[in-house]
Amino acid sequence: MDEKNRKLHHKHINQEQGRIICDIVAVLICITFLFPLYWIVINSFKLDSEIFLSRPTLWPHRFTLDAYIDQLPVLKTTLKNSIIVALGSMLLSLLLSVPAAYGLAKFRVKGKKLMMLIFLVTQMLPASLVLTPLFLTFSRLKLLNTYWAPILATATISIPFVVLMLRPSFLSIPDELVEAAKIDGCSNLSAFFRVVVPVAKPTLLTAAAFSFVFAWNDLVYSMTFNSSDKMRPMTSAIYKFMNQYGTKWNSIMAYGVLLILPCVIIFVTMQKQIVEGMTSGSVKG
Amino acid sequence: MKNRWRNKALGYCFILPAVIYMLVFIGYPIVYNWVISFQDATALTLRNTNRAFIGLENYRNIFADRTFIAAIAHTFIYTIGCLVIQFVLGFLFAIFFAKDFKLSKTIRGLVVISWMLPVTVTALVFKFMFSQDSGIINTILMNLHIIKEPVGWLLQGGTAMWVLIIANSWVGIPFNMLLLTTGINNISKDIYEAAEIDGATKTQQLFKITIPLLKPTIMSVLVLGFVLTFKVFDLVYVMTGGGPVDATEVLSTYSYKLSFQLFHFGEGSAAANVLFVCLFIVALIYLKTTTNEES
Repeated sequence: MDEKNRKLHHKHINQEQGRIICDIVAVLICITFLFPLYWIVINSFKLDSEIFLSRPTLWPHRFTLDAYIDQLPVLKTTLKNSIIVALGSMLLSLLLSVPAAYGLAKFRVKGKKLMMLIFLVTQMLPASLVLTPLFLTFSRLKLLNTYWAPILATATISIPFVVLMLRPSFLSIPDELVEAAKIDGCSNLSAFFRVVVPVAKPTLLTAAAFSFVFAWNDLVYSMTFNSSDKMRPMTSAIYKFMNQYGTKWNSIMAYGVLLILPCVIIFVTMQKQIVEGMTSGSVKG
Repeated sequence: MKNRWRNKALGYCFILPAVIYMLVFIGYPIVYNWVISFQDATALTLRNTNRAFIGLENYRNIFADRTFIAAIAHTFIYTIGCLVIQFVLGFLFAIFFAKDFKLSKTIRGLVVISWMLPVTVTALVFKFMFSQDSGIINTILMNLHIIKEPVGWLLQGGTAMWVLIIANSWVGIPFNMLLLTTGINNISKDIYEAAEIDGATKTQQLFKITIPLLKPTIMSVLVLGFVLTFKVFDLVYVMTGGGPVDATEVLSTYSYKLSFQLFHFGEGSAAANVLFVCLFIVALIYLKTTTNEES
């Protein structure tokens, strides 16, 4: 009996030790993977001269906002452009994809499988494939160097993703809830707005966050369609800046900080929903 | 009866706008891209409504170009390199973080943040870290006495491709981990308990339970990974621009240069179609596996 107890005790200690080792390994993994983020932020506060020290400093000798102030005039226009395109694309995408996800979840319609397939396939296609034809079409419609060109193009990234992401959460809303609203005199449409939308609010917020971020992160469409300085968003501005001043890393990282800021804020505030959405939106509805 | 019909009509009103949008802005351009690829479409004929058809001329031109053939090879090398690294490490991470320890959930949820960030910024920070003069990677490797003097990782063809693969893995490993974790969590705990009672070791459990039951997830993770990696553009365009001397040119950057730097739209479209055909074959496999799963 005593022997057995001692064995159990040993096993317990071993498990405890194992857990601590796991924690240490996990922290090391975390540090490695978050290091690039740290590096962006910390270098945006350095002076030119400090970046070119033969030993890069892990912490700036002197914190300065020079890198940000230098870029202020350009930042103002490009930031405004990025915000307009991301918000516009988000609104357009939600307007189309929220009802579509609801329809695919709650209505018996013919060709449902085909329509799901269309979303699944269009989501996987590369931008390169539609870039030339869209450029020629937008050029003929005089949409190049307007906000419409990147808004219309980036919405194609988020619409399929949001449809596939939202459908399961609409499926989980019980039919009885919608029926009850109808009995209370709501039409189909107002049942959607009064019952379904409030219940699905957290997922809808996540959908909004994703569609904002997809448009905000876009480089290829904006760079191709909007090449004038006045219309350029931040992603292509940072790229152009790098081509001109390849080694002004502190300014490049300052741009980087502003670009990742909304993504990081969204990720931190709604982490659980974002992580869930990443899986359901990427794989299938 | 009337009510049911009305219901159906309303269903279509909900769904069709989004479907039509995707058909107009993705479906139509795909068809138009094939048309352009058979046309004499350059900067000069940009605004013409009826451009001359020149048959397979554009395809003949690109296939005669050595860089194009190299770009096909590079795209496959890049994709397979990324897939192997992100799948193997992603799988190991998924199994590791599935263990029950204090920080497992917190850290697993944290490292996937790279997926949310603009690829442009990812590309730039890795370019910075691997740069010859001020890159931290060189400093670390020199301190560890692995290299003697700073290496221009992105300035040499042989290493540039690896830097691209590493930068992509920063996003790919956590993302693969996440998808595989979902699969692992779906496996019932009872099976492991039963195996433990029967005296199965942890390794046996991994190979006899986890991997076989995870097979459908593994298949779709691999195929999805292939499709997402194969179409790489932003990362390569920002980090190397296809260089040095075309050493990292991939299909999408090659097509982009033809269309928007040389304004040979016809050839650019043709190159994009080759990319499409490669993806199409893989997408078919993907759809087949997911529909099998569902039924």
